[in-house]
Amino acid sequence: MKFAPYTLTELIRNDDFISWVRHPDAESEARWQQFLLEYPEKTKVVEDARGYVNLLAEDTGKSKPTIEQTNKMWRVVESHLHEENVEDVQQPKIISAWKWLRIAASIALVLGITSVSYWYLNRQTEIASVIGPQVAVTENGLIEKFNDTGKPMTVLLADGSSVVLQPNGKLSFSSKINTKKREVNLTGKAFFEIVKDPQRPFLVYTDGIATKVLGTSFLVDAPENGSEINVEVKTGKVSVFALNKNASLSEREEAEKPELKGIILSRDQKIAFSRVSGKPVKLPETSLEIANVADISTQLFVFDETPMSEVFKALESAYNIKIIYNESLISNCPLNATLIGQPFTEKLTVICAALDAQFEIKDNQVTITGNGCR
Amino acid sequence: MVTTFETLNREKSDQELWDGIRNGDERAFTIAFDRYHSTLYNYGCKLSPSSATVEDAVQDVFIDIWRLRKNLTSDVSSIKFYLYRALRRRINIGHERFPVTEEISMLDDLEITGNDTNSETVFIEGESKSIMEKRIRGLIARLPERQVEALTLRYFDDFNIEEIAQIMGVNDKSVRNFIYKALTSLRHNREYIISPALIFCILWFS
Repeated sequence: MKFAPYTLTELIRNDDFISWVRHPDAESEARWQQFLLEYPEKTKVVEDARGYVNLLAEDTGKSKPTIEQTNKMWRVVESHLHEENVEDVQQPKIISAWKWLRIAASIALVLGITSVSYWYLNRQTEIASVIGPQVAVTENGLIEKFNDTGKPMTVLLADGSSVVLQPNGKLSFSSKINTKKREVNLTGKAFFEIVKDPQRPFLVYTDGIATKVLGTSFLVDAPENGSEINVEVKTGKVSVFALNKNASLSEREEAEKPELKGIILSRDQKIAFSRVSGKPVKLPETSLEIANVADISTQLFVFDETPMSEVFKALESAYNIKIIYNESLISNCPLNATLIGQPFTEKLTVICAALDAQFEIKDNQVTITGNGCR
Repeated sequence: MVTTFETLNREKSDQELWDGIRNGDERAFTIAFDRYHSTLYNYGCKLSPSSATVEDAVQDVFIDIWRLRKNLTSDVSSIKFYLYRALRRRINIGHERFPVTEEISMLDDLEITGNDTNSETVFIEGESKSIMEKRIRGLIARLPERQVEALTLRYFDDFNIEEIAQIMGVNDKSVRNFIYKALTSLRHNREYIISPALIFCILWFS
């Protein structure tokens, strides 16, 4: 230790001095007492320096969380304690939770079902049924869906994913099947439930931003004349990033890689992008609560000994699709299932497996045939 | 540094807590949250003006530790240090901020001399407690936020220069300069005018 005659500022910056003031131990105590013995005229300076160091510590340590904040933070952390993370996305989750209002009642995603339904869906080679009438095929091979009705419209994609398109929404996608990626363009608001396929990322292009997922459910709201594009995640993880219409080929290729990039959103997180700057804008905290209850994006699809008649009613209202079934045989069969985040056809597959029944989708309606409860 | 924390909570050392977390011990994790969330939050407030952002970042740092517990390195001398580095990274990425490296490195060339003859000190001796308080408050209020950050890590959080350098992602010398800069207002004028007070100081201490 340098026993130079310290000035006030030097003392305040001195490592040894700071640790003596903040956390004195026998050794430092002895050393500084010795210093004061040698330089008794320094007593006042040392006292002043001590005062300043303590004040600096006090003043820079004032931003304590309130008890409410502490409890809030702990509740969120605690809710993640028992969440087994099977996804190996190692990237930091960049945008943190705005709101974790609802903790899904159960994360019992019926994983095995995916493979079953995948087998089922893969039998259909061409772009599958598009429910509803408003289809147009443009000259460059794009299928375009425009919802000019006053109600939500469900669009089923070739890979088994389903999209619930809100009124005035427009969705377009290629009629050809692409082995590397799945992509759609969207104007307006739509809720997506995407079949898991890590090898083929699913991309939603809206004006200026792209939303990429490997299999999950989420809401995209890109109003035609709005200033913001909103993305809200229901299950799984999605990444959102700026992507200009005139993005170069390499930029586009980069976007199509299976890795999630940009801002990563998890369950119940949402983000707004400014259409002008392509930069994220934080949403007001209340916006999540005023969501329409009947809207599909707010439904959990958790069924616990629920009669089939109610299950079908929930699906009919969420997807705006008529479901026809033999009421006397099936109505009272109970269902236990958590169908959150699964595309429409996967939900039907799960239900039919539970009922030992079959389903057929045709002309904006679903027909279930079965022999009653198992 | 580690011993500093142990004196605050003698039941379990940082290393014990860390090992516990790695083995999936929820109690160890809970203790770690209890011990560090508050100072971590305080530090976060120096990085972002939004308390909601800070809360979220603090949560996420803890959630990540638990989520990635199996992949955590075994030798961590200080959980606190690990947490602070993670928090800073998270808040800065969230803000799409540039690293502060540039801002700090501008000071790198500055030669810091042992004496304070070419600088004005913000600290004056022999003042009453209330004036001292006012002085510090004024100092913290007018400093750029990076300097407040360095002061917080130094004085409130008791990190040493090397640790601060790693947390802020710069070298040791930069941190020293940074803190020096924060505590003294340097004179830009090379042909400085020696004020009577300064002459007094030089005479007094030489």
